Amino acid sequence: MQSLQEDKSMKKKAQPKEKEGEQKGRAMQIVVFKQGDEEFAMHIDQIKEVVITPSIARMPQTPDFVLGVANIRGNIIAILDLEKKFGFQKDEQRTLGGKNFTLVIESEEFKMGVLVKEVPNTLTVYESEIEESLNVIHDSSMEQNYIKGIVKKEGRLIIMIDTLKIVTESEMNAVAQAVVSN
Amino acid sequence: MKSNDEEYREIFLAEALENFEEINKVLTQLEKKPTDTAYINTLFRITHTMKGNATAMGFEGISSLTHVMEDLFGEVRNKKIELDSEIFAALFKAVDVLEALIGAIKTGQKVQFRGIQTKLKVIIERATTDTPSGVASEKEEDSDSLKPESSKDTNSKKKEKATSKDKKNNKPKQEEKESLKVIEEILDDAEAEEEEVDLPLSDSKIVVSDLVHVPVRKLDNLLNLVGELIIERDRILASYSTNAHSSEFSRLNRISSDLQYSVMDVRLVQVGFLFNKFHRVVRDAANLESKKVRLELSGVDTEIDRNILQIISDSLIHLIRNSVSHGIEPPEEREAHNKAEEGVISLSAFNDSDGVVIEIKDDGKGIDIEKVKKKAIENGLVTQELLSLMSMDEVLLMIFEPGFSTREQVSALSGRGVGMDVVKKATDSIGGNIKVTTQENEGTTIRLKLPASMAVKGTLLCMLEDQTYAIPLSYTEAVVSLYKKDLHKLSNGLVSTYLGKTISVVFLKDLFDLSNGKNLHKRILQSGFDHLHAEAQLHVVIVSHNGRIIGLVVDKLLQQKEIVEKPLFKPLDNIKILSGVTILGNGKVCPVLNIASINNMIFTATLANQKVY
Repeated sequence: MQSLQEDKSMKKKAQPKEKEGEQKGRAMQIVVFKQGDEEFAMHIDQIKEVVITPSIARMPQTPDFVLGVANIRGNIIAILDLEKKFGFQKDEQRTLGGKNFTLVIESEEFKMGVLVKEVPNTLTVYESEIEESLNVIHDSSMEQNYIKGIVKKEGRLIIMIDTLKIVTESEMNAVAQAVVSN
Repeated sequence: MKSNDEEYREIFLAEALENFEEINKVLTQLEKKPTDTAYINTLFRITHTMKGNATAMGFEGISSLTHVMEDLFGEVRNKKIELDSEIFAALFKAVDVLEALIGAIKTGQKVQFRGIQTKLKVIIERATTDTPSGVASEKEEDSDSLKPESSKDTNSKKKEKATSKDKKNNKPKQEEKESLKVIEEILDDAEAEEEEVDLPLSDSKIVVSDLVHVPVRKLDNLLNLVGELIIERDRILASYSTNAHSSEFSRLNRISSDLQYSVMDVRLVQVGFLFNKFHRVVRDAANLESKKVRLELSGVDTEIDRNILQIISDSLIHLIRNSVSHGIEPPEEREAHNKAEEGVISLSAFNDSDGVVIEIKDDGKGIDIEKVKKKAIENGLVTQELLSLMSMDEVLLMIFEPGFSTREQVSALSGRGVGMDVVKKATDSIGGNIKVTTQENEGTTIRLKLPASMAVKGTLLCMLEDQTYAIPLSYTEAVVSLYKKDLHKLSNGLVSTYLGKTISVVFLKDLFDLSNGKNLHKRILQSGFDHLHAEAQLHVVIVSHNGRIIGLVVDKLLQQKEIVEKPLFKPLDNIKILSGVTILGNGKVCPVLNIASINNMIFTATLANQKVY
């Protein structure tokens, strides 16, 4: 939470810069977090809060990367481990692996949390800095669905993702599994 | 949240429909007894209220139509119009148009109402202008002389006393009489005014009714909030339980419990509300099949949660149609069996411990078990081997499987193999049980055991690998301890005996592995057993669903607890073996097992194995 606030104050300082950023397109804030050695990011509007990971109840009939559900302020939230989803971690066990913080994502339909090791930072980027529809991604696999674009800034390479899409895919997995088990 | 406008519209719609029903009813009664002023007054009042409401909401069609109707009833009340069959025909037409107009609010259709409106106007105008004024005034005088009789009598008596001395003089008496008449007229006027004033008063009484209409949506919300309050209370109680002053919370405990039960009580409706609609269902179904069937209702004042009633209403329609179509025989066949020509279907409801039982009973030919067995094998629902292991109850329950119908020919009503599985799905979804009993030539009874309320669920908490799970008590039969020697391997599963019956036993852990699609080797349901120490004691929860009994092996049994269940949401709404989750006093999340689907899963798994061999 703290660092988010700090960055929000930074946003104020950054505002005068917006004039010069006119050619760069609209400015937006993203939340950057590490998964494995890579940096991922989501739009700040998607993230409700960052909390210390609560105790998680395991759920049967779910894919491996769904660790279970947790109670965050009376809301039941599905906890996802994206490292497992992306294949950065081959661990069969559903353990936290030192991921002590949870990014809480809430939309009308979905309530879920993404596990992270460190409190994430925010970053102001301009539309021109986001590369969408990269050939590399298109060729690679189905994953293009939830990868929204790639941010190149100050030598960093940040992958913008849309978590809601990840879950929509995982939903399909769950259905497929249910069919197998029946 | 919906906007205020929409909310008002909902309320108006509900009220308008109710008013419309009332108009319809009273008008029919009036037609039989056209002079009854009570009916006319009622009609005047209802149309007046409806006009007011419709004008306020800006529904021009309804307001102008009801306005004319109100005028007409006003004239009838004032005896200016005599009701005849022509006027009744016009009125009924107007009521039909009114219904269409009310319906059009929802659908947004355009309804022609000007025609009938003008017709009513013409009737009023004809009545008020055509009647000679003399007749009207005569009538008025008639009524005048009737009404204020008492006051006139006393007045005139006084006058008579006062004038008794000049009895012989005619003139002053006539003067007196004239003055009397003036007084009378004034009195009458006052009375007439009083009457006019009376009307709006009686209307305002109707507005401030003892009943409050509340949309179910709001009640649902209230119930959710109470549920959260209970969870929160339990959390606080748990965190202070180490403190010696636990009695400090007893008041909070009691008040919140009372609140919870009050809210649950508000949601209860009488089953008669639904049952009464089935007279028509039975009649239509019987006519279509040219059978004679009578519906008998009992226990109509039994109360059940409104949402549960809604969920099972379709199922009951299916079951009743099914009873007419499959159960009751044609009249000739009934006579051949020495039964009354008219078949009887009885629909009854009663309270049973913490739930409500609804029974649909017919005195028809009963279910042909052999036919059910044959059909089940034909449709691939079971195998011959499995069938021989199944009890009579289990065989009968197969009529609720999808794609099952014993009727050779498809009839218009039932027999398409859909419908009965809807019943099973509906009862499963609310945690109910179905039981079928049948006797050849005596009839069939289908008994649905339903929870009376969905707000709280009694559950048994148990542990498995550091995780607490809740098992609904409505499905729990018993809790027993077994040893490894009590369990036996049978084909792919495990069996044991409980109260002399053979039941299948499943390790909950194996079940989760199975459902996760891991280690899909053949003997997965025995892996827990294989890893067991020979002396180990097992905690087994015996659960039964629709007559199928299974034992679930868990690590540890905790306590019995009332929980407020929250449904699973996206992206977890595909988990079949859980019906929802709850938050325990310690703030941890506890999954609630869906016994109905676990039961089905084990059954289909056994079936799949049978097919392999």
